[in-house]
Amino acid sequence: MDGHIGSRNSLKESEESKEYDLTVAIVGNPNVGKSTLFNVLTGKSVHVANWPGVTVESKEGVKEWKGIRIRFVDLPGIYGLSSLTLEEVISREYIVSGDSELVIGLVDATSPERSLYLPIQLLELTPNVIIVFTKVDEMNRLGIHIHFDKLEAMLGVPVIPTSALHKKGIRELLDTIINISNEKKRIKLVNIDYGGLESFISDISKIVAESKTLKNYPLRWASIRLLEGDKRLEDLLTSNNELDILNKVQSVRDAVRRSIGRDPAELIINARFRYVSNITKEVVVRVDKVSSYEHIVDKIFRKPYIGAGLSLVLMLVSLLLVFSVNTGFPLNLIMRYIGLQEVGELIEFYSLNSVISEAFNMLSNQIKSSIYWYNPLLASLISDGIVIGLGSVISFLPLIFMTFLILAALEDSGLAPRIAISFHNLLNKFGYSGNAVYPLILGMGCNVPAVMSSRTSVDDSERTQMIFSAPFIPCQARLIVASALIAAFFRNPLLQALALLTMYLSGIFMYLLTGKLVRRAVCRISDKPELILELPLIHFPKVKVLWWIAWDYTKHFLKKAGLIIFTLSVLVWVLVNLSPSGMTADVNEGFAATIGNAISYILIPFDIVGEDSWKIAFALIQGFIAKESVLQTLAVLGESANVDDAVRSLNLTIPQAYSLILLITLYIPCLATVAVVYQESRNLKLTVVQTIYMTLLAYLISILVYQLIKFLMWVI
Amino acid sequence: MSKTLVNAAEGTKVRVIDIIAGQGLKNRLMQMGLTPGEVLEVIENSKGPVIVSVKGVTIALGRGMASKILVDDAQGVQQS
Repeated sequence: MDGHIGSRNSLKESEESKEYDLTVAIVGNPNVGKSTLFNVLTGKSVHVANWPGVTVESKEGVKEWKGIRIRFVDLPGIYGLSSLTLEEVISREYIVSGDSELVIGLVDATSPERSLYLPIQLLELTPNVIIVFTKVDEMNRLGIHIHFDKLEAMLGVPVIPTSALHKKGIRELLDTIINISNEKKRIKLVNIDYGGLESFISDISKIVAESKTLKNYPLRWASIRLLEGDKRLEDLLTSNNELDILNKVQSVRDAVRRSIGRDPAELIINARFRYVSNITKEVVVRVDKVSSYEHIVDKIFRKPYIGAGLSLVLMLVSLLLVFSVNTGFPLNLIMRYIGLQEVGELIEFYSLNSVISEAFNMLSNQIKSSIYWYNPLLASLISDGIVIGLGSVISFLPLIFMTFLILAALEDSGLAPRIAISFHNLLNKFGYSGNAVYPLILGMGCNVPAVMSSRTSVDDSERTQMIFSAPFIPCQARLIVASALIAAFFRNPLLQALALLTMYLSGIFMYLLTGKLVRRAVCRISDKPELILELPLIHFPKVKVLWWIAWDYTKHFLKKAGLIIFTLSVLVWVLVNLSPSGMTADVNEGFAATIGNAISYILIPFDIVGEDSWKIAFALIQGFIAKESVLQTLAVLGESANVDDAVRSLNLTIPQAYSLILLITLYIPCLATVAVVYQESRNLKLTVVQTIYMTLLAYLISILVYQLIKFLMWVI
Repeated sequence: MSKTLVNAAEGTKVRVIDIIAGQGLKNRLMQMGLTPGEVLEVIENSKGPVIVSVKGVTIALGRGMASKILVDDAQGVQQS
């Protein structure tokens, strides 16, 4: 691990950060309501970056209050300040670095007995703490009563109850932040009585006092941490040639084990929790009062089979809804099927995707016709390259946004962890935890949110597994291409359904199998990921929160992946429009067509030869930008206004069409997905390997399936 | 009588005796409130992960993990 994690300069790249008077860090457990509070405090001015050298995200924003500009730094969600996880190390190093004048320690007002543990640890490290209780509205509903004044007196730091959602306590918090910098209330650190360990702590203190490396940390704090066995501090001692100090510390730890017979870490954590519970006994009163509908919903979702089934139905219904709003599919087909042809067409025409693409086509034509006289090439670059490229991204934004909305609703309502639990046993067989259900479900909407949902993984290996495998899940764009091929070449409705079903199953199967492969072969971990999940209370999701989360994700995607997608679209335009003899207006002469021609022999194993083969090869290359462009390309090359006619004119046999569907389903979904894979993994090699792996695998599987079907048909 | 959390009956209260796991996992569980001596309420324990209530928080633990937590019956013990 780098020495500069969480260091003073870590967020220097932020533009806003140069303009502030005061820095406040926010620390809290996952699920404590940290991002909600952060959103309310900072509003729109949020800068998202990564902590240097790692994939953990850092967020900061500036709020001006009574003429003072306060910069808030959102630290990762953690349970303690040991150095068990990267998140804990980042938070700790940041607090010690002195970059922030104040630290806000969050306490979940619905479970103070557990969540006060983290702020108490903060107070062992720095006296400049404000304790903020979140979810006070929910606390009241649950019949919990907390004497905040008494707590404030006991701890000697400001304690502020808030409800970010109802904007309660926010003014008080901002006022306190400004006033505390004038007169700091607490000077000394909290001293927890560690009982029988105290003599050992003072032994270690004497040893640590001689260390140059640990000078930046409070002496007692560093001594307690070392007694606990702190990996980070031990590494620091080792790398700075203070092994003698480390050895002396080790011998004290051994002495504890010998004389007390238990692990020092256990005794220390117990002592801290005892300290917390002595406080909460004084200030927390619980009157049982929980509304019953939540209990019933909770109970149903906890049942292994019923819970899983219900979750699945819930998610598929929301996906179908999103699909229909976005492209009209499959609602339009259903309408057509029951005879309401016109309603179906209307739904399709007024779907978001169609309206946006139409708008971009109009814009593209407008630009083309208005500057064509000036320079035809420039007109084509702007209209066909840039506008259409942007359009292909933007027309998929509603789908991405709405898929994020589903994720947000699952997260905010508290259903997400319950769904993960119900799928844990099944997914565990494939080297995933129950959390791997998110990429699986969201991926059917769009692979971009699916890859981003890898952030829910329980360990680093699982994160890599999810990022690497999620793009196998057939998304809506692939569903559209597959349905066009199925409609054109499969007559029998039973065969149609079978083709669609096996397409989904093969994608899901590859997701599961690849996950296991990555865990075993790449990350070399043989144990299955273990699940530890907190189950927050179930409640109806709040629209405001959903909007925040979904918009946050979408904005993040747009910022990070937008440029990559834009650049690659222009590159493809160049390939299509540049020919060996300069620029060309005829796509048949461009480099892309040449490439399509050159690689059309890859279709020989499918017995696709002759005039049409290069069209399909070319369409497959185009499908790399976005899967639905496979159809558009075929329509353009087939010189027919109607996509269905263009596809039919290819004259494919059923085995050919089916293996082509598999090929299109399994090879790399689109530029946006490649961009987001890189954004999430920060690993160029992994991104390239994944693209090659998917493409090669898709090719081999589809050839195998084609030859198999051909053989079977020949036998029969 | 000592047993692991996997064998704890649904609806009962058990007390944590020890966590037989590596330092990382053990500390993580303890930081979440599952410290030795703490009383847990077993809310769900059938096929999937074991769900317990501790310090006012509901936590789901994979069965593999639950089998690393030694507990004994804590009927009549006051929850701290």
